[in-house]
Order: sequence, then C-alpha cells, then structure tokens
Amino acid sequence: MNEKSQEVLLAEFDARVARGEKIEPGDWMPADYRKELIRMISQHAHSEIVGQLPEGQWIPFAPGFRRKLTLVAKVQDEAGHGQLLYTAAETLGKSREAMMDELLTGKAKYANVFNYPTPTWADVGIIGWLVDTSAVINQTMLAQSSYGPYARAMKRICYEEAFHIKQGYDSIVALAKGTPEQRAMVQDSINRWWYPTLMMSGPPTKLSEHTERSMKWKIKTKTNEQVRQEFINLIVPQIRALGFEVPDPDCKLNAQTGHFEYTQPDWNELKRVVNGDGPCNKERLDTRRKAHEDGMWVREALAVANKKAAA
Amino acid sequence: MLLEVPTDIPKEALQRLLVALADDELVLGHRDSEWTGHSPILEEDIAFSNIAQDEIGHALLWFTINEQLGGKSPDWMGFERNWKHFTCCHFTAFPKGDFAYTVVRQYLFDVGEQVRLKNLSTSSFPPLKEAAEKIIMEEGYHLMHSQSLVERLGDATEESHKRMQAAIDTAFPQALGMFEELTGEDELVKAGVFSGNEPLKEQWLEIVVPALTSASLELPVEKKNGKFTIDAKAEEGGRKGWQKEHLKQLVEDLQTVYKMSPGGSW
Amino acid sequence: MDTQWETYEVFHQTKRGDPHVHVGAVHAPDPHMALQMARDQFARRMKCASIWVVRTKDVARTDYQDETFFAQILDKSYRDPKAFEAPDKGEH
Repeated sequence: MNEKSQEVLLAEFDARVARGEKIEPGDWMPADYRKELIRMISQHAHSEIVGQLPEGQWIPFAPGFRRKLTLVAKVQDEAGHGQLLYTAAETLGKSREAMMDELLTGKAKYANVFNYPTPTWADVGIIGWLVDTSAVINQTMLAQSSYGPYARAMKRICYEEAFHIKQGYDSIVALAKGTPEQRAMVQDSINRWWYPTLMMSGPPTKLSEHTERSMKWKIKTKTNEQVRQEFINLIVPQIRALGFEVPDPDCKLNAQTGHFEYTQPDWNELKRVVNGDGPCNKERLDTRRKAHEDGMWVREALAVANKKAAA
Repeated sequence: MLLEVPTDIPKEALQRLLVALADDELVLGHRDSEWTGHSPILEEDIAFSNIAQDEIGHALLWFTINEQLGGKSPDWMGFERNWKHFTCCHFTAFPKGDFAYTVVRQYLFDVGEQVRLKNLSTSSFPPLKEAAEKIIMEEGYHLMHSQSLVERLGDATEESHKRMQAAIDTAFPQALGMFEELTGEDELVKAGVFSGNEPLKEQWLEIVVPALTSASLELPVEKKNGKFTIDAKAEEGGRKGWQKEHLKQLVEDLQTVYKMSPGGSW
Repeated sequence: MDTQWETYEVFHQTKRGDPHVHVGAVHAPDPHMALQMARDQFARRMKCASIWVVRTKDVARTDYQDETFFAQILDKSYRDPKAFEAPDKGEH
C-alpha cells in the first residue's frame, strides 16, 4: 500500500466529498470530521432516547385504544431511531457504553426541546406535529450526509417520521373538532411549544461554531436559518387552518419574499436550558440514569449467560 | 354488525369469557407499556413495546367480538367502564416491579396464553376460533422472547438468580389466578366453546414446571403419580370482579384523559 | 465496564428469491437473542422472510485504503457482454 502524506489524503477526502461520494467506515478521514460526526450523531441518538420520555409518560393516559396503540408505536420508534443512530456512531470507533456514559453524566448534549415539560395530553399531539415536522426538515437534509452509515440510518428514520407527524396532526385535528376545553388545551400547548420548537433548528449561523465546518464536509447542507424558515412557512398555514394561532403577533407572510416574518426565539434562553437550567433537564437525565442503573444486573446477567452457554 | 350465536351456546357466559380475555390483555399490555423508555437496554425497550402493542391489540380484538355480540364498544369497555367491573385476574394488574418480576410474569402469562389459545383454536364458536388462530402466532413470539429471558436470567449470576427466585415466589401464586373458574363456565364447556380452566391449568403446569426448574428456579409444586400438588394459595377473585386497589389506580390512569370527553373526539 | 453487549450485523431478506441485505446492527447477548432483537428492530414494519445475524467481530472486510485489492488496469472488456456486436438476423 502506498504511504500518502496527510495533505494528499485530505485533498482526496475533500474531492470525494465534493463529488457527492460517501465516506464509509474504514475510509481515511480528518480527525475533525470524525470528531464532528461522533458528536453530531451521538447527540442525535441521545435526543431520540431522551425524547421518549415527554411523550412516553402519557402512554398510561392515552385516550382510547387507537391513541394508546399509536403512541406506544411512536415511542418505540424513538428507541429504534436511537438504536440506529448509536450503531452509526459506533462505526466511527466509539462504544455505545461510552456514549451513554456521556449522556448520563451530563457531558453530552441532546435536543433541547425535550427539556420542556408535557403537562397536557395535547402536548403529545403538538410534539408529533410541530417538533417532528421541524425534525424531519432537518433530517431530510441529514439523509444526504457524506457519511454512509449516517445517511443510511437517516433514510430509515425519515420514512418512520412521516407516521409520527401524521399521528400527531391527527390527534390535534381530533381535539380541534372537540369541546371548547379540548381546543383551549391545544392553543395552550402551541403557546408553550412554539419558541422551543423554533430553537430546534439552532441559532442563526453567525452564532454557531459547528455549522461552517459541517457544511464544508456535507454533514449539513442548509443553514439553521434556512431550516427554520422552511419549518415556519410550512407549519403556520397549517396551524391557522385549524383555527389556532402562534404566540407571535409579528408572524406575517411577506408577499414579496413569500416567507413568513417572525420573531427570533430568545437565544439566551436556549443557552441557559442547554446548559442544564431548563424545567426538565434534571428529571429527564434522572429518569434515564435510573433506567440504566436499574437495568445493570440484567445486562450483566445476560452477558454472562452467553459465556456460560458457550463454555 | 351483530353476530349470530348458535342456540346451544350461552351468550352471556360467552361474553363473560371474551371480556375476561380482553381485560387480561388490556391490563397486562398497559403494565408492559410502562417499560417503554425505561428498559434495561435499548433493544429490550423495542421488544417490550412490541409486546405491549400486541397485547393491547388483542384486547381490542376480543372487545370487538364482544361488541358484535351486543356488548358495548371497546373504547367504552376500556376507558369508561367502572374498575370494579373489570374481570382481569389480579396477576395482570400488579405493578410492574423490577425487570425480574416483569419477565417472570410475562413468561407465566405467555405460556397461559399458548395453552388457552391452542384450546380456543378448536372452539365451536367460529369468531372465537378465528381470533385465537390469529393471535396465537403473535403470542408464540412473545413466549419465545420471555422464555429466552427466563432461561438466561434464572441462573446467570447470583444477583439475577436471587431476583428471579423472588419474582417466582411472588408471581407463581398470582399466576394461578389466571385459571380461576369463570361464572357459567360449565355451559361453555358443554357447548364446546372451550375446555374450561382446570385442564388449561394442568397443561400450563406441564410446561412451566420443568422449564422453570431447569432454569434453577424453585416452585411450590410437586408431581406425584402424574398429578401436580401446589403448596400455594392462588390469587383469585378477579374473574368475579373482586378487584384490588392497584387496579383502581391503573384504571384511573387509563381513563382520566378519555373521561374529559367520554365518547368524544379523540 | 461495557455492559451494552457485543454487536451483530443484521442481514434482512424481504421475500424468498431476494438477496439478504445489510440493514444495520443490534447489541445482543447471543445469536438467538440477536435474531429476536433484529426482528423487532428491522422487521416490525416490513415483510420479512429471513434474517441473518453475524457477530461484527466475525465480519472480514476489505480495506478502502487498499487501492490494489480491486485494481484492474488491463482492458478486460473482452469479457463484457456489451462488447459484442449483435449479428444481424439471418446474416451468415
């Protein structure tokens, strides 16, 4: 095998990415690219499994057979997505145990939107409809990722997300057709979830260290602002069509640009909440930590059972 | 669409059987779904969510047949009916406990389902027969899963053995309640609807006793002259609607949102 | 200590006649449980005729960096069906 210099390897790598070719496990890659991907993919995985909790806590209370079944399926998918993503990150050389450890000790970040509480049943539908719509816009882009395993995982995930959005929207439509109390529950939920959902796409480009590098290496192909604008343009008409409103009096369609104008979320709030000072951060991590610790004897026992059987 | 019941099959007893089957599935499915997001490992989280969905789906199926016989709608039965009228066995309603209790309960229930559904697959009432034939496949998968876990956890480590033994000590007498006699059962047996609970219990014992014993778990059961003697008091009462506090809490949770607008737009 | 179990690569066949396709991996304590985990993770929505699982450790792979492994410089189009002109029908 030829010994190549770092410069040549990097030039070949950049050219491969620019051609739209995928990078696969075992390919030479810059250390920064590997590091950035591990961070991004594991963060995405953490978001899925932490994301099981705000909706999962409503499974015992889901109203009626159809809603109960659908919600269990949805939250199951989130575990499934976490599983797919951790597996993709593992191909970059990091163990799932190490990634989980970072999550549970507070070292790793996850989608901030899940640090908000879900005090009403309507929140379940709103998460499925608003949060997942925003996620899908982001994820459709990520499915074009230059890293093969991540792109493949994202394709599977995007397919299942279509169900998530539909079940959320369907649940809200049912509430919209219901009693005044049910409609009020929906509006209250939108009021609380609007800005946290806008924050999902991330701060405007100037403020984000990660975006520039990610865009060069086709880890991301749209800016945060582009993703957020796409989300708003899509969702505001849907919300208004059901007779609800967004908690932003300045959210108006600009006839010339064709885009909705809107008030930026409070980016200082994002910083605060991301760094642990949100309403549910502690609760979410405590819950995941407890599940991890309570399950330790099971994981250990099953690992040993295999060795016993093999002996 | 109302189903016709042959004149020799007692309709009331038949509905009682269907509702008992449905209640068991709904209540255990509800308990199993409590693990979603909390399981020991991601892969188990996905597996248990599958089991929970299947069970809740089975409850829907049994309730649907009950509705076709003139009973109330599945949503009414599950989400509006008074908890005191549920006829699930107590076993299905106890809190989920630790993973050992859940796995043991699942295993004992799954074997119970296997013997029951096998029997119902020969039922003289066609809708019951067809439903049982459909469900038995999914339940077969559940059994494979719970059996795999029991076999492994039973004697893997000192801790797993301790927990599994404690789980068996608690769950075994409770599980016997699955075979509590149903009011009007004799008539159903005469009409060929099912074999009755006693034979099912015997078949269940034939399977679980050797299986658990080979997983190094002790049971309060002896086999003498081909017959089982059990040194434990069965946890019964559920089939007669004599339910306990934990079911009250479970049903309250189950019904609280739905009751905001019962029969309404959800 | 790693308590997440080792990984098994999962291959999934939609129906008889189709090839098995690599769809991902599961963490499992042994092959029997790996098959079940794979079914719940990769076959809960799609039809499936068969699943194979192989310990990740047992998969031998070619090296993307090794340019010689798949190298073919000499023109071997002589063995490509497209390299032949189809004779006109009836012409000898």
